Formats: sequence, C-alpha cells, structure tokens
Amino acid sequence: MRRLRGFLLRFTGLFGRGRREREIAAEFESHFEMHVADNIRRGMTEEDARRHARLKFGAVESAKDSMRDAATVVALETTWRDFRYAIRGLRRNPGFAAAAILSLALGIGASVAIFSVADSFLLRPLPYRDPESLMMVWEHHTGHMPRNSISPGNFLDWKAQNTAFESMAAFGDAQAPFADGERVEELQTQYMSADLLPMLGVEPWRGRFFTREEDAPNAANVILISYRLWQNWFGGDENVIGRRVQLRAQPATIIGVMPPGFYFRTRSTDVWETLNLDPSRNYRQTVGRYLMGVGRLRPGVTHDAAQAQMTTIAQRLAAAYPGFNTDWGVNVEPLRESLVSELRAPLLVLLGAVGLLLAAACANVANLLVARYTSRRREMAVRAAIGAGRARLIRQLITESVTLSLAGGTLGVIASRWIVLGLLALAPLDLSRNISVQVDYRILLFAIGVSVFTGVFFGLAPSFAAWRADASKGLREDNRSSIGGAGRLRAWLVGAEVALSVMLLAGAGLLFRSLAGLQDVRPGLNPTRVLTFRVVLPSANYRDAMKRTEFFRRALEQIERLPGVESASAVSFLPFNGGSAGTDFKFSGRPPAKPGEGLAATIRTVMPGYFETLAIPLKAGRVFTAADNTAQSPYRFVVNETFVEKYLHGENPLSKQISVDMDDKNPYGEIIGVVGDVKGDALDKDPEPTVYYIHAHLNYTRMTFVVRAAGDPMALAEPTRQAIRAIDASQPVAEMRTMDSVVRETFARQRFSALLLGGFSLVSLLLAAVGIYGVMAYSVTERTREIGVRVALGAEPARILALMIGNGMRSVVFGAAAGIAGALALTGLLRSLLFGVGSHDAATFIAVPSVLIAVALVAAYLPARRASRINPMEALRAE
Amino acid sequence: MSKKQDVWQGTLALMVLRTLEMQGEMHGYGIARRIEQVSGNRLMVNYGTLYPALLKLEQEGYIASEWGVSESNRKAKFYKLTRAGQGQLKREARQWAATTDVIARFFATEGSPS
Repeated sequence: MRRLRGFLLRFTGLFGRGRREREIAAEFESHFEMHVADNIRRGMTEEDARRHARLKFGAVESAKDSMRDAATVVALETTWRDFRYAIRGLRRNPGFAAAAILSLALGIGASVAIFSVADSFLLRPLPYRDPESLMMVWEHHTGHMPRNSISPGNFLDWKAQNTAFESMAAFGDAQAPFADGERVEELQTQYMSADLLPMLGVEPWRGRFFTREEDAPNAANVILISYRLWQNWFGGDENVIGRRVQLRAQPATIIGVMPPGFYFRTRSTDVWETLNLDPSRNYRQTVGRYLMGVGRLRPGVTHDAAQAQMTTIAQRLAAAYPGFNTDWGVNVEPLRESLVSELRAPLLVLLGAVGLLLAAACANVANLLVARYTSRRREMAVRAAIGAGRARLIRQLITESVTLSLAGGTLGVIASRWIVLGLLALAPLDLSRNISVQVDYRILLFAIGVSVFTGVFFGLAPSFAAWRADASKGLREDNRSSIGGAGRLRAWLVGAEVALSVMLLAGAGLLFRSLAGLQDVRPGLNPTRVLTFRVVLPSANYRDAMKRTEFFRRALEQIERLPGVESASAVSFLPFNGGSAGTDFKFSGRPPAKPGEGLAATIRTVMPGYFETLAIPLKAGRVFTAADNTAQSPYRFVVNETFVEKYLHGENPLSKQISVDMDDKNPYGEIIGVVGDVKGDALDKDPEPTVYYIHAHLNYTRMTFVVRAAGDPMALAEPTRQAIRAIDASQPVAEMRTMDSVVRETFARQRFSALLLGGFSLVSLLLAAVGIYGVMAYSVTERTREIGVRVALGAEPARILALMIGNGMRSVVFGAAAGIAGALALTGLLRSLLFGVGSHDAATFIAVPSVLIAVALVAAYLPARRASRINPMEALRAE
Repeated sequence: MSKKQDVWQGTLALMVLRTLEMQGEMHGYGIARRIEQVSGNRLMVNYGTLYPALLKLEQEGYIASEWGVSESNRKAKFYKLTRAGQGQLKREARQWAATTDVIARFFATEGSPS
C-alpha cells in the first residue's frame, strides 16, 4: 500500500514540476546558507566558509538530479523527456527523419506482409483437433510419384490391417451439378468415408454428420453443405435440414451444415457426400488409383513407426497382388507437410529475401544514425562535460532511434495491409485460393519487436561510436579531423548494404531469367484466342454412353455455328490444368510385360477437331474425324511424338496396334496419327507419352470445351453458355476462362517470386545508393579543408574527383564481392524455383554487380563533383 | 584526508527517523549535522542521498514537512515524525536489533578466523 502511495505521489510528481523544482532549490539554498553560517561561526572567513560548504555539498546539479529521480517515476519521466527531445531533434532534421522512417517502413512493412503470408501457411495450426497426429497416406511408386492417389482395394486392406492409426478415411474431390428444382449449378464436392469428419474433430453447425450405414454401398444419398452454400443458396434457412435436392441429377437429402470456413484440403468445397466403398467388391480388378487417404495416429505412435508398419503391409499386398501392386509402397506424410510442401520453398525464399531487405533497411538507418551522431559529437561532449552520465547519453540515443523505428514500424504495419492485398492479387491461385491472411496481434507483436530491436540495436551503433570518441576529445576535436571511428563504421555499413543488395539482386535476376525462359517455352499448342469451360453431364440422365457423345457432338455443332467461332472441340483433361489419367498399354505382337514393367502413357479423350482447334501440329498420318466418333467405328488412336520416341525406337508408328488398360474391354486398335508434343502439367515439365482416344471409345461425362475465337474469346462466354442451355436447360457450365490464363497460371508461382524479389532488390538498391551518397557527402564535408589544400597545391579537379570516388567505392567493391560470395552460397536455395538457368548463372552474376557498381558510381559522383569544385580560398577560410 | 564512511542507503532512513524521534522537528541541514555528530564524525552524510531519502520517507508518509524559520532566522523546511513514522521506527529498530544480534552470534560462536 505504501509503495503504491509512494508511486502515485511520485507519478503525480510528474506534473506540477515547476513548483517542486523551485522548492528543492529553496531547500538546498537554505541548507547551503546554514552551512556557511556555521562555518563562519567556527571562525572561517566568509570566502572559505562558502568554498567549504560548496565542497561538502558536492555537485548541486547531481543532487538535484537524484532528487528528481526519487521524486518521479524516473524511467518514465526521463523517457518522456528523451522522447520529446528526440521528436524535437527529428523535426529539426526532417530529411534525416524521413529517410530513416521510410527505410524502416519499407523494411518492416515488407517483412510483416511476407510474414503474415508465411504464417498462415507454415506456422498457424490447422483448424482441426490435434492436427499434428493427422497423416496423409499415399501410395507411392518406386522411383517417382511419392504422392500418388490410392486404390480403394488397397485402402480397405490398410484400414483392416494397420494398428498404427486410430482411424483412417478415404476421400476425393469432384464437381457435380447441384439443383433444387429451380436453379442448377456446378459445385465443388468432396466424397469421403464416414470416419473422416469425426477424425478431424469438427462439429456440425446444424444437423449431423454421416453415419456408417449412410456410407455403405447402395445407401440413400445424404449430403452436408457448406455454411457458405447454406447462406447463399438457402438464405440461412433453418429448415434446410431434410431438404431434398438433386446432386448429379440424383435425389439427395441435406442432413447437416458445416461450420463457417470449414474445409479439408480444398477450400472451395460446397457439398460433402459419402464414398460408399463396398468391402466385398474387388476394386483392384476393376478400377485404378483415384482416392486420397488420411489417418489419425494412435496416441504414442510416431510418424516413423506408422510408416514402418504401413510399409510392411504394402509389401504384403505387393506379394498378394503382384500384377497390381508390384513396385508400389506407402508414403505416410504429416497433413501439414502435404499442404505446404509445394509452397515451402518459395515462401522460405521470400522470407529470406525480406529478411535481407530488413537487414539492409536497418543498416541504412544505422548509417543515418551514425552520421547524425557524428555531427552531434560536440553536443554530446558538452552534455557529458556538464555532468550527464554516459548511461543517460546512451539512453537518449537509444530513445531517439527507438522513436524512429517505432514510427517506421507503425507506418510499416499500415503499409503491410496494402502490401498483403497486393500480394494476393499477384499470387498464384493455389496460394490465394487457400489463404486467409490476417494481420493479427502476433504479427503486430512481431512488427513491434522488429521495430524496437532495430531501434535498440542500431541506437547502440552510434553509442559505440560515442564510446570510442571520448567525450573530452569531442570537445577539442573540430572539423579538421579526418574520418574517424564513425566513418569506418559507416563504410562497413555501406559495404553491408551493398552486399545485401547484391544478394537480393542476384536472386531476383535469376528468377527473372527463368521467368523469361518460361515465357519463351513453346507449350506445344497455341493458347491465344481460345475460350475453355467445363461441362459435367449428370450420369443419371446420361446412362447410355452414346447419349453423352451425342450431347457433346450437338453442343460443338451449335457452338461452331456461333459468329466469331473458328472451331471448337472438347477434351477430358485440359492440358496445363493439373490432373490427367494414365495407365498401362500393350503393343500387339510384343510379349506381355512383366509385372511392374508395363508401358505407361497419359490418356486423353478428345472430340473431333481438338488438334486443329488448339493448333497441335500433325506430324504423321491423320487425326480423328467425325466418322471415327461412333460406337461402331473400329478403335483408333492418335499418339504424340514422345510416345513414338520412347516406345517405338524408330519403328513406323502408323498402323501399329495397341491395347490400353482403360476399360473393361480393351480391344486392340490402330495408331492412325502422330501429333506434336504438348508440355506436361506445367511449362517446365517434359511432355509425357500420350495416347488420345476419340470420345465414342473412351467415354467421359466430364469434358472441357476449347473454342477458338476470331476475336476476343471472352466475348463468346455468354453465347456458348446459351448454346449449352439450348440443348439441356439444366446443364451447368463451369470455369469459363481463356486458355492463355490457364497456361499463365502454371508459372504464376515463378512470376510471383520474381516480382517480389525484384521489388525487394530495387528497394535495397535504392537504400544502398542513399547510404553511399550519404557517406560520400559527409566525407566531402569532413575533408573540405584537406581538399582545399590539395587544390591550392595544384591538384586538378579530375584528380580530386577520382580520389573521392576511389575512396567511396572501396567499401562498395568490398561489399559487392561479399555479396557475390553470399549470393553464390544462397542462390542454391532457389533451385526449385529456377527453370532453364543455373543457380550460379554467369550472366546474372556479372550483370548484378555491374548494375550495382553503376548505381554506386552515380551516388558517389554527385558529392565527389562537389568536392572537385571546392574553392580553395573558401575551404581554408571555412574554419 | 580522514577516512570517513558514506552512510549506506538502508540505514540512513533509520537514522533519520531516530534523529527526528529524539530531536522533534528538524531541517535537512540539522539532520545531517546531527547524524555526523552522533557518529563521532565517522559518518559523512552525502546530501545527494539525504534529500532523496527525506523525500522518499515523506512520500511514504513516515515524516511530514513544513516550511518554517530556523534558529538563525532563515527560511527552512522542517521535518517531523508522523504517527506512522513512529510505528515504522519501532519495527525497523526491532529488525535492526535482531539482525545485529544474529550477526553478533556468528562472530561469537565460530570464533575469530585465524
């Protein structure tokens, strides 16, 4: 209580200080006079008495200081005083303050923005119960495809035989037309075994989850809908539970609503349905691998133990089903790992880059602070001489730099909100689709931490310079001195800025070169002026396979009649859009392959006109015609060049007979044509051997249309949609976009990283230029007199120019060398983002330091020119 | 220069309270002189510590101050013990006695180091 009272009194002491100061002075005065009077009484002369009293009393000022310290909450008051002093000082030097605050705002803003993005992927826990024990369970093929989808048959055996997992569930993504009798739309769905949602530990928002019985074969369709769909489609109607809707033109009952924001791996899912696996069915004979698996580890079971057990089970299954499972193993991967593994490399690169940028910004601020301190050496010396303690001086310097950095940090946080929005606009879809970037309190803490750390740390730099330059020396020293400790410190800082800048520029240079390389890659088709969209026919309405082919044939016929359409076709898996089917095949007349040595190819089903529409060149033979697209026509295949190279080794492909394991019956058919290669899923992937089917022989309900327009392809969006409606009014159309944007999306990640790193490196280059300019300008001022003498002794202006630039460039050259070394060591981390360019690309490593040195020369030239024009008379008189 | 000890912070407050208990009202200079006298001039009161200590005691409510006129007709600030101060002094004195007693025992029983 007493302590509190003392504190309050002292705190109120902060105010009404003038009166108290007068009182202290009066009390000291009376004390002093009494002492003098006593001394006189003891027989001293008045003068002696006063001298003694003064000696005895000691330093009045320091006594007053300690009075004040006791009288107020010292730290608070001095901090406040230092703070006001700092503000006043900064206002007197707006250029300095603006430069420092701006560099910090850029550094902190960029790091907060990148940190927020990285945080939401790499650090934030997944929104499920105990997410660390959730594991993805993949099949994996020896040598490649570590994350392959899984066979339902294998999944059922894993589930039955393992003891490592508390529960295991299978799921997959699909799109399906969803209708309520009035409107129909294609929605993203996820089918899953009943175990999955309870395993995640989420609760339904309304209604209930699936029961085991509902997940059994031939059970009635029940579905769960997203909160989003509940709100947007059903207006949040509480009676939605039990509503009958149509999914894939089949009746289904809504039994629950998921909580807001819930998703599992696919953020856009609006409908969840059951998987309905049948344990008695022999899946290994009838279907391939198409599911995904997830499991929750039993408490106490480690990831490694689970992996070991699953590998044993997989070996057993490989022995039991050699035809299906030879060379197939299991890969147990933590759920988070599976979600971020693709993004981790670019995000870590960006985090590293933004760290470098922040370091450059801090070096710049330290540089500015040291410069400012140097010009205030006298002031500091005077303050020290009249009794300010060293600790006090340092505290003041730190207060000043913390003030600066907090201002910069505040500005940075504000800026980061815009930067994050900008980032999301630029970000590749897989980033922006799955992201919910918020700047929350942890990130604010991060920003404040960075600001304060910068302030304290870089406030200390000039303080150490203060250490070196002894106070009394500061008084004696005048402007004649050459650059001392502070100058050397600044040269180091400039060197560091240059080095950081070189590293960032090198990274950005490499990324831009690979981006340019990607843009030059010939995709193997012509994506310009092509509109694409997806149509998924509900199989319930199109049981007869030929009805499907007929639908697509009629739709294309209608679309081709539209004005502005040059040609149109459709394909099962659009290139560059991720996902495709692949399977084994046999050549007629060759012995059957041993298990695990089958010939594999990517399979695409097309409608006639596909190759013409996408301008995929015909290399030999012919392409499909409308006559091939009938059930009665013999099986015929078109293959690509890679197929011929890989499997035919110079034999003539035409009229070779192949059989592809795609359906129940796979009769041999003739290869009628060879077309040019189309790159794999992305521009930086090699093309894969591909076999094209005509739709009538490999029937898909889900086809992506490709429409080549004479003009703007998006202008055809509405007419084509109506053409589809005209055939079936309840048929939705999804994902309308141009083929150009589909292709561009495949290198969005590289573009994103390149743009960001480019931005960072430009900022760091600017910072380095400011630093070089500052140091040079300062050294010219410092050496005015010396230069004056040189000029008076006959030095040519050109020599002076060379001398000054030479001096300034020394730290630049050292910094650049260090930066190149650092970049050579670090750019290896970029490798996964690079394409067609090595991480030690010579051109980049020559161009980057050249650019930097050119910029540095300009920054050094301006002050140096001033030095070369110094008038010797003025310079010598200037003291 | 004679060797004089600076008064330690902790004990200064106790000495101030005790002085005020014995002398009644007193100004800062008087307190300082008194402490020096009582110690037989072995202690030297540093004013840089005395006045902050007085202020602290006042803020804690153990002493009160008032401006008055000194014996030599000079305006001075006089300090006196409050009721709380008397209590505090008793407590502190007891504590001090206990401490010195304990320390004394240590030196009595262990014998002096050889």
